Amino acid sequence: MSYLVCVLLFGLMVGSVGVASNRSPYFAAMGLVMVSGVGCGVLICFGGSFLPLVFFLIYLGGMMVVFAFSAALSAEPYPYGWGNRSVKMYVAAYVLGVGCAWKVLLGKWSGFWGGNLDESGELLVLRGDMMGVAAMHDVGGWMLVLGGLGLLLTLFVVLELVRGVSRGGLRTV
Amino acid sequence: MTPIQMTFSTNFLLGLMGLTFHRTHLLSALLRLESMMLSLFLATSLWALQLSTINIATVPMLVLAFSACSASSGLRLLVATARTHGSDHMQNLNLLQC
Repeated sequence: MSYLVCVLLFGLMVGSVGVASNRSPYFAAMGLVMVSGVGCGVLICFGGSFLPLVFFLIYLGGMMVVFAFSAALSAEPYPYGWGNRSVKMYVAAYVLGVGCAWKVLLGKWSGFWGGNLDESGELLVLRGDMMGVAAMHDVGGWMLVLGGLGLLLTLFVVLELVRGVSRGGLRTV
Repeated sequence: MTPIQMTFSTNFLLGLMGLTFHRTHLLSALLRLESMMLSLFLATSLWALQLSTINIATVPMLVLAFSACSASSGLRLLVATARTHGSDHMQNLNLLQC
């Protein structure tokens, strides 16, 4: 089980180096999809069931889809992939930096993980992280209302600012 | 430091460095912001899962909600940039000319 966590952490590092080093947003979005998938796997290894699912739905299914079709706004005929020299130099620099940081800071592991939320080994109905999110509806009700109002405000801000024809933030074209 | 903390910390720092050294596109800068937010989600979720403090599981949900706000604002700026300048290249965002 710890080997699986090691493999997933390696996938996280590879994906985040890919996101950080890529010049074209097409390939950076691919790296982000990989990082979020592998991150959900890491959360599952530590006993989470609801939080990875929420992450998949909202982040990948909501935000990444919007980023993917907004990538059409940054279309160019010859996007810089991983075969390009400047991208390879950035990848090498980031891998070197991450390797040095790991060598210096991770000399002696002080333990692999703090704990696992489903240590009981049984298949329970009320999982831990789901009950934690349920607390957001229970005692954190006002924070939920505030978050909803913030999202509504953001919606109106976005709609007003891309209104165009000299009323929003767009210049009259 | 445990390997998991090291991983999401370097994930955050890599996104931050990518945001600092972004070269051409505005959308790639927004994607690195999203990777920073992803590492924050992983960090707070692992806090709730590893230390068994399950009330902290509300924090990743709220962080996800507010990062959706920031992502939508950034995409709105991207659309405005593409509308006025024709592309989202950062060298077009020059204040000296309209």
